[in-house]
Amino acid sequence: MSTLTPDPAAPAAIERRGIRLGDVLFKGVAAVAAVGVAAILALLTYKIFALAWPAMQEFGLSFIWSQDWNPTTNVYGALVFIYGTIVTSFIALLLATPLSIAIALFLTELAPKRLASPIATMVELLAAIPSVVLGLWGILVFGPWIAQHLEPWLQSWFGFLPIFSGDPSQAGVLPAALVLTIMIIPITSAICRELFSRVPRDLTDGSLALGSTRWEAIRRVAIPYAAPGISAAVLLGLGRAFGEAIAVTQVIGSGNQINRSLFPPGDTLASRIASTYQGAGSNIEVQSLLYLGAILLVISLITNVSAQVIVNKFQKARRMSTG
Amino acid sequence: MKRVLTLMLVVASVAAIAVTAGGATAASAKKQDTNLSGAGSSFVFPLVSKWIPALGSAYGYNVSYAPTGSGAGIAAVTARTVDFGASDAPLTADQAAACKGCVQVPWALSATSIAYNLPGLNCILRLTGPILADMYLGNVTVWDDSRIKQINPKCTLPSTKITPVYRSGNSGTSYNVTDYLSAVSPTWKSKLGVGQSVAWPAGVGASGSSGVAATLKKTEGAIGYVDVAYALANKIRFASIQNASGKFATPGLRGIDAAAASLPKKLTGDGAFSIVNPPKGNPLAYPISTFTYVIVPTSSSKAADLRKMVYWAVTRGQTFGAPLLFQKLPLQVQAFAFKQIKQINS
Repeated sequence: MSTLTPDPAAPAAIERRGIRLGDVLFKGVAAVAAVGVAAILALLTYKIFALAWPAMQEFGLSFIWSQDWNPTTNVYGALVFIYGTIVTSFIALLLATPLSIAIALFLTELAPKRLASPIATMVELLAAIPSVVLGLWGILVFGPWIAQHLEPWLQSWFGFLPIFSGDPSQAGVLPAALVLTIMIIPITSAICRELFSRVPRDLTDGSLALGSTRWEAIRRVAIPYAAPGISAAVLLGLGRAFGEAIAVTQVIGSGNQINRSLFPPGDTLASRIASTYQGAGSNIEVQSLLYLGAILLVISLITNVSAQVIVNKFQKARRMSTG
Repeated sequence: MKRVLTLMLVVASVAAIAVTAGGATAASAKKQDTNLSGAGSSFVFPLVSKWIPALGSAYGYNVSYAPTGSGAGIAAVTARTVDFGASDAPLTADQAAACKGCVQVPWALSATSIAYNLPGLNCILRLTGPILADMYLGNVTVWDDSRIKQINPKCTLPSTKITPVYRSGNSGTSYNVTDYLSAVSPTWKSKLGVGQSVAWPAGVGASGSSGVAATLKKTEGAIGYVDVAYALANKIRFASIQNASGKFATPGLRGIDAAAASLPKKLTGDGAFSIVNPPKGNPLAYPISTFTYVIVPTSSSKAADLRKMVYWAVTRGQTFGAPLLFQKLPLQVQAFAFKQIKQINS
């Protein structure tokens, strides 16, 4: 604005006072911080690829679609873990997104204030549980409960689906996906709550005044208004789910096969790295684990970039429709 | 708010003074305390826990040991974040190279038990190596399989599904078990081999002995493996295993001793001795017995103390093992250990 029309009220002296030390310092610190973070990301990516390079040369791109992971023959492939990462994260997202939106709507639109704030705090406290503690609970309580109750129940109703076939198991892909769901709900629901509380009252009130019901106002006004933010929140949750290692390691059972059913053990990229990096028997195993790390890094970068693209697209569309 | 802050500051400074003062008096009381830190094998942890106070009174050593697992122990001593590592599996060639001048010393001898969860079973389960291999390969899937029934004529076996439980990640106990399975099953040897982690084709992974125990406890029909000291301490039932003489042996002191008797009289090499599936002639031998190793850098500022500690462990320390089902090292292994210890010098 100042470039177009200089503020007539501002004293001319300020503009002419020149550069002060504080400004220079601040600018310098800010620039170093920003460039430093970018440099760390670049160096880290470089280093991981450089360290994984021998494995990349040895196995090539076929590493990505090979199912073998055999430390005794030193033949490695990532498909089991890529599959495990995508399936557990996708299920977690599928469950967490509607739940988070429902929690956020309940807290902003429906719940009485006296109830809303303690519940909101509780949901956010869920995020404060260290993942290793959640994993322990998964081993001792949640996993056995899933194997004894949830999986038999799913099987009796939906057993015709291959994903719910086979024997129940307390460690497996399904328990891992459910633990991830619990981990990402606080993140996505907190962001969604923030988004819904920012929907202008005028819009919803207007909608209600025009005769729409509460539900219609939420569906036609609040949700479309918050949509870009929700999709960004979902992708943030996805990033968290992709990278979670410890809790997943504790409940996924470190299987070495791809199964059609969700009950048997599997493994994810992050949890395989966490469980076998220490004491890996050979250099090529270490390099292959770093190769897994590189794949995880690329997948995460792609999700983050697509999150930004989606948000941008939504915003453009909104500007078009309103302006 | 300001008053609260001041109060907190006062409390904090008082605490700090108390701590430094306490630390100073403690330090002046025992000046010759040497701190030795170790990490690794959870297998040997019960024994090391008995050694720690004894080493303290014998030499004034302040030994700490974290049972993080053999793999983690190797990683820690390689990174020199601890003074010594402990592993139930000998170092692989790459690991030995990465550790740069480490020496491994066999310092304890015990066995891995095959534990199972079959509530209400009216007998002690008997198993053979090939059956165990087929369970872990996913070929024998139910407990009333004819092969299991045949060797357990007195048991009423249920038709429960068998769930093999293995250690996820790198584990010395896994090394011991896969070493044994490779010795008794050609299929196992060619498909999976020996290692701290292998490509387990069936079953469920759990982290640590405690993870295996927890999964075992919660899964009816599960079979797993834990070191015998752990099984004993946690009252886990374990099977007797058929040895090469055709007898069913239990992982007791006599069984372990008989297995170690299969070693040649003169030992050479880098200190890796396998005593799984010992040959005929030792009817008592328990076939899944193993040495476990301490890994020490040959040169460090604490080399003299480490040498003393390891020497003590392979001599005096051996007498502590019996109640925990650790057998004394055979004489030729002890002699070999002395040779290895000589390499540790400051």
